[in-house]
Amino acid sequence: MRFPWNRAEAEMEREIDHHLQQLVLEYERQGYKHEEAVLMAKREFGGREQVKERCREERRWAWVRGLRQDVIFGARIMRKAPVVTLAAVISLALGIGASTAIVSLMDVVLWRDLPVPSPKQLVFVKWQPSGQFPREIVDGSAGSMGPEDGENVADFFSYTSFRALRQSVSKRARLAAFTGFTNPVSVSYAGRPTVAQERGVSGNFFSTLELKPELGRFFTESEDAYGAPATVVVSHRFWVRALGEDPAVIGTSIRINNRLYVIAGVLRRDFYGLAPGDASEIYTPLHQTAFMLDGHGGELPLDNDRFWCVSILARLAPGVSAAQLQPALGTVFPSTWSRRPKDLSKAPRIRLDEGARGLGFLRREFRNPLMVLGGLVALLLAIACTNIANLLLARATARQKEIAMRVSLGCSRSRLMRQFLTESALLAAVGGTASIAVAYLTANLLGQFLADRDGFPIAVALDWHIVIIVGATSAGALLLFGLFPAWRGATLPSAAWLKEGGGSMRTAARRKWTTGRVLVLIQMAMSVVLVLSAVVFTRNLIGIESADPGFDRRNLILFDIRPGTSGYDRSRLEQFYFNLSEQLSATPGVVQAGVAWMRPMNVGGWWGSVRFGHQKEIPGVSMNSVSPGYLPLYSPRLIAGRNFTWRDVTSDAKVAVISEDLARKLGGLGVLGRALAFTDGPPGQKPPEFEIIGISPAIAATSMKDRPFTVWVPLSKDTKEATVIVRTSQPPQIALPAIRSTMRNLDRNLPMVDVTTMAEQISKTLQRERMFATLCDGFGILALVLSVVGLYGVMAYNTSRRQSEIGVRLALGAMPRDVLVMVLLEGLRLAIGGVLIGLPLVWLGAKYVEKELFHMKPLEPGSVSSALFILLASALVAVIIPAIRASALRPSDTLRQE
Amino acid sequence: MPGKTDLLQGTLDLLILKVVAQGPLHGYGIAQKILLTSKEMLQVQQGSLYPALHRLQRKGLLKSEWKESGNGPMAKLYSLTAAGRKQLQEELAQWQRYTGAIALVLES
Repeated sequence: MRFPWNRAEAEMEREIDHHLQQLVLEYERQGYKHEEAVLMAKREFGGREQVKERCREERRWAWVRGLRQDVIFGARIMRKAPVVTLAAVISLALGIGASTAIVSLMDVVLWRDLPVPSPKQLVFVKWQPSGQFPREIVDGSAGSMGPEDGENVADFFSYTSFRALRQSVSKRARLAAFTGFTNPVSVSYAGRPTVAQERGVSGNFFSTLELKPELGRFFTESEDAYGAPATVVVSHRFWVRALGEDPAVIGTSIRINNRLYVIAGVLRRDFYGLAPGDASEIYTPLHQTAFMLDGHGGELPLDNDRFWCVSILARLAPGVSAAQLQPALGTVFPSTWSRRPKDLSKAPRIRLDEGARGLGFLRREFRNPLMVLGGLVALLLAIACTNIANLLLARATARQKEIAMRVSLGCSRSRLMRQFLTESALLAAVGGTASIAVAYLTANLLGQFLADRDGFPIAVALDWHIVIIVGATSAGALLLFGLFPAWRGATLPSAAWLKEGGGSMRTAARRKWTTGRVLVLIQMAMSVVLVLSAVVFTRNLIGIESADPGFDRRNLILFDIRPGTSGYDRSRLEQFYFNLSEQLSATPGVVQAGVAWMRPMNVGGWWGSVRFGHQKEIPGVSMNSVSPGYLPLYSPRLIAGRNFTWRDVTSDAKVAVISEDLARKLGGLGVLGRALAFTDGPPGQKPPEFEIIGISPAIAATSMKDRPFTVWVPLSKDTKEATVIVRTSQPPQIALPAIRSTMRNLDRNLPMVDVTTMAEQISKTLQRERMFATLCDGFGILALVLSVVGLYGVMAYNTSRRQSEIGVRLALGAMPRDVLVMVLLEGLRLAIGGVLIGLPLVWLGAKYVEKELFHMKPLEPGSVSSALFILLASALVAVIIPAIRASALRPSDTLRQE
Repeated sequence: MPGKTDLLQGTLDLLILKVVAQGPLHGYGIAQKILLTSKEMLQVQQGSLYPALHRLQRKGLLKSEWKESGNGPMAKLYSLTAAGRKQLQEELAQWQRYTGAIALVLES
């Protein structure tokens, strides 16, 4: 290759030759013989290579040339030790990749602002009761309430309150309302039925967010009124999946819960909703929202001041702070109640929460888990870095002879350091590139894990800022780790090294051995945390999954139907459910078919309070209204009493079947035939009473984790949507086609939604546990592999260093077995030392992990002992090879080497 | 050799510039000339001379060309550039100020 320095190199040769010639001539003039003169000239000139090297450093482009040499040489070194290189690159790729993915996820869920202009101006308006939540409000409400940061907070208001609040601060903030929950609706466009989540929003919602539509337009204020032409805005996702990405859909009609709407606009792709993982795909004006129109006892909820169902978002005017807005809203708020509190000091307070990052449901749910995962992945990255440091250190030691050679040939210390740094950087570049692929795959996997219950994954797009930040941090760390061995290598006395020839290593080597040992101790300590986490979370998952739900979970199929929003009115629904049950039961392969209002094993559901006689009220009871075929799905017969009949359904009978544990709590079998009061009705009214007609074995009704008391009542005749559960005699895949054909014969236009098996349904509720278990298993295995490699490296190096010593021992009569035990013990001592350091770390972290566990302590003897067993067994594997190799040494060989 | 003094840090460049200012010279010639002019007091180490020549060339103070020197073989002859001439003037002035100041203190 022709580079400027090639010519310079040749010129320098000629120049030095010329100088030497002149010197020779000079000495010849002084009377020396030619040979003598040549020798004296050379002696006077000194180290030719050193002069050349120093000249090179003075030349233009010296650094480019140097860098090119460093890179080529570094690559050659890497190729020469493929195992070491591969180990380092893989450690780095996995460590950085996993960290990037977790940090990206944390960014999306915890830190990122909503994709709207000036998100910092947004606040959510909420209220806080002075004590308990006021019952008369809470009973007729829809929204979320509960403790946030240790205080009771509710996010729902009556529509009247919203209008008054909006009016009162119109100059300082714009207030917009939305339903704090989303509701599933049946949608049909161009004859294709589907299901989507709908959110009602006030007419100014999108203009308050200052969004721009991808297509069409957003709502006007006048559209948000009863009787106005019904319009809808759809999300980009819905436009793609249900409307075929067709721009011509604007202005066409779409059927939502059997009402016609005109599609006004499509949202931009980047607007994912009010929070990452927001399931809403369809936005309708509050007054046109299916939930508001579908009737609540014939009353339109927005007109009813006792029905609180809108949440409020505010955009502060520039220069206005939330604290300035709060008093004005707080004054107006109590005056908007239908029944004003007599004592205003006890009135609920208005509270303004920062809204830049959107609704906080994911943040609240995943902050702790993500922090735990973040901590674990940081440990993993630290282990990976320690490993690389150890590898580089070992390599630097192995290369001491080479380094000594280079120094004596005129290589300056700074140049040597640069060479080492280039090699580290090369490693960082290769590992870093590979880590992006790892991060990408992991992030996608995480997005799937965090999928919303309604099945929409959170898009964990890799943010380039994060990739760069994590990458730069790791590269920095790596350079630091690379610098240490480089500094060590560069400051070694070179002459001594050449003389000793690297055969018997003395002081310098002993120092390195200590450093390596300390690094391995640290690694082991950190591995304890990761391996124990893996064990604990896996046991947690297995414990929950293998718990007995109280019924056989095999051969059960679930799917939802929504006849009430697909054209069935109240009078036809009862007959429909009866026909469905009859025809499904008659389908080949079906043992039993039942219908329930609430999908079982779906975590949420219908919760209520009951009171029996004069006993204390029991809150938090799981309720469901079910068909006569439902309970026999789980157990063939009741413990006592009778099951529902279709006559109970037809006659709206006030009867109930209760779970065995509730019966025991209430007083045993004697409760049969007595009345159970449902105390959740409207205040002031006498609670409805249900006659207890049966006692059923207790089952896990809502999830594998909680076993609430359960009460079943007969299916209501006007159940608009329900879940059908079928027990089959064959595996679900085989029985499903026949079930589908029965449903098609029953009503061709009624879609079967969310068809799953019970096993799938259960595992869906355990996503979070599975995420933890899978990730921690992955982290634990990686940590183990990295530490085993680290320990092996140190032990292998150490025994090779002590070859001559071991040779002497063997020559003096030590048995190979003694050597084996000696090396084994030495390695295990290191491992145990690391474990002893690691255990206090585990104890410190335990309290963060405890929240994520179910019926389990983080530090159970079983978990700790299995983790220690795994660690020590792996350590043994790492140590046994060097130990065997050492014991198989032949004294004659090792002594001859000396 | 007795009586020889090590060069003061940074003075080598000045000496080279001064010597080369009197006409193009090759590396050996520069070393010889410094040695002779200083009455054999200043001996330039080859280990420092050539790096210094390369450095001055990189800074654009010296230029070089291959020419036949007086007694036969081709040699690399260094000469001053315009920038080198200017630099020499400045460094000489600075050197005189410096030695003058030292002398003032020592002779006071």
